[in-house]
Amino acid sequence: MDPGQSIVVREVSKVYDDAVPPIEALRDVDLTVEPGRFVSVIGVSGSGKSTLLRIVGGLTEPSRGSVEIAGTAPRDAQHRKSIGFVFQDPALLPWQTVVANVELPLRVNRSAHRATRYQTDDLIDLIGLQRFRGAYPHQLSGGMQQRVALARALIHAPSVLLMDEPFGALDEITRGTMRYELLRIWSQTRKTVLFVTHSVAEAIVLSDTVVVLTGQPGRVNDVVPIDLPRPRDESVEQSRAFLDLQARLRAALMGD
Amino acid sequence: MRRETGLTPPSRAPLSISDGEGTGVRPSAPSPSEMERGRGGEATPSRGGVARALRDHWPTPVALILVAVVWEAWVRWTHTPAYLVPAPSAILGRAVGGWQYFLGEATVTLAEAFAGLLVASAGALSAALVMAHARWAERAFFPLAVVVKVTPIVAIAPLLIVWLGFGPAPKIAVAALISFFPILSNAVTGFRSVNPRALEFFHSLHASRREILLELRLPHALPYLFSAYKVAMTLSVIGAVVAEWFGADHGLGHVIILANANFDMTTLAAAVLALAIIGISLYAITDALERRCLFWHESNLSTQVDR
Repeated sequence: MDPGQSIVVREVSKVYDDAVPPIEALRDVDLTVEPGRFVSVIGVSGSGKSTLLRIVGGLTEPSRGSVEIAGTAPRDAQHRKSIGFVFQDPALLPWQTVVANVELPLRVNRSAHRATRYQTDDLIDLIGLQRFRGAYPHQLSGGMQQRVALARALIHAPSVLLMDEPFGALDEITRGTMRYELLRIWSQTRKTVLFVTHSVAEAIVLSDTVVVLTGQPGRVNDVVPIDLPRPRDESVEQSRAFLDLQARLRAALMGD
Repeated sequence: MRRETGLTPPSRAPLSISDGEGTGVRPSAPSPSEMERGRGGEATPSRGGVARALRDHWPTPVALILVAVVWEAWVRWTHTPAYLVPAPSAILGRAVGGWQYFLGEATVTLAEAFAGLLVASAGALSAALVMAHARWAERAFFPLAVVVKVTPIVAIAPLLIVWLGFGPAPKIAVAALISFFPILSNAVTGFRSVNPRALEFFHSLHASRREILLELRLPHALPYLFSAYKVAMTLSVIGAVVAEWFGADHGLGHVIILANANFDMTTLAAAVLALAIIGISLYAITDALERRCLFWHESNLSTQVDR
């Protein structure tokens, strides 16, 4: 089983120069995700958390500082197909079935010669959509579409999984169940995960560590280890420790 | 709710990763049979067949017949001579009686129109591909395309005959010029109108431009291309007919000019009828093809809701 690789962010700053006036999104952000760990980044809107994730994924260049995935630059990680991305918008290909959508990463950049991959059937079983293998995205609910996006991000066995508010567009109840779905899937795959969200509860339930970004430009205000025992289920949200963590993170988000 | 919480109990065993060189790799799209299965009964209105078509579309033929009957009655009642307004029965009689003649001339016009459409497609699609990737190319060449579009085709048709002679070449050129712009402008928009998150997903895998084109841009452009071809198909026929007016010895345009000179309105109207049938058929074929190919697109999903 591939344990995943580390993510190291060193003194990353980002200024969008083409905006008038220039927008400073991030300043001197340091962050480390150990192999196989689940780290969440929370922050209010405009704190630069999505920008940070895009820089880690090599979709945006930092103005200063550097990012390493398994010791190499994000662009090299893209080359090796070491990155699995999940966005808030599932962004599935509407003309293709669930199976074809999940297998998309196998059809592009074939020269990357990744020796490993997951079996499509295994992943579709894992996300619980075996009855919908031949269905098209428009026939699926929002939660199901997002699960297909998750399987698509995993099929090529990436070393790191980057998730940008993946449940942000879902209704409250679906959102509440999807976080435990993700926990279950993660416990089976044990990827290194960097997860961006604005939901404090979601961050606590999922993570080993929560990084709080505040301000404009965004900076790391707090790094909170989540020592709740795993495996975690819905009952964790009623525990004393959870409520304490929630209070601490809420305070950190407010900028204390 | 049940759909959201997972349909099976989670498997206990960790997921296995297969060896890439082993038997497990299947990096291709699903087989055609799989695609077909998923699509079955989706947007193709095959169920119900003829009965359903009759139920849905009966007003169209009824209206047509009604118009023809009124027209026929009016011509007979007022004793209007055929060189002014021919009766529908006479037009139909001429068309049916001389069907081999009309079919032959129509084939000539259609061949010119299709050749023009092919030329226009090759030019417009490759230009659109370049423009979709490079803004400078769009700024440089799109105004030229607009100039071609706004130039009245009738104005340059005689010129093209002078340049290209009396053979099929000027007809193909006019058909190509007239259908070039709708294909170009729709294709540029289509190639660009990709889901930005999907594009970023491709980038995160370091997909090549070619892969992005084939897997993402081209399918996304299909709805735009279909509306382009619905317009361009019929335009190309118009282009060929107009070019035939200025010098041809075959084709429906030639038939029309000749009949006009002879005050033979019945033949003229029969030729127009042939053109109308061609236009409707081309449109219907494109439309049917579109429904089949774009079963996933909003335009078709909303009509399903309407039913």
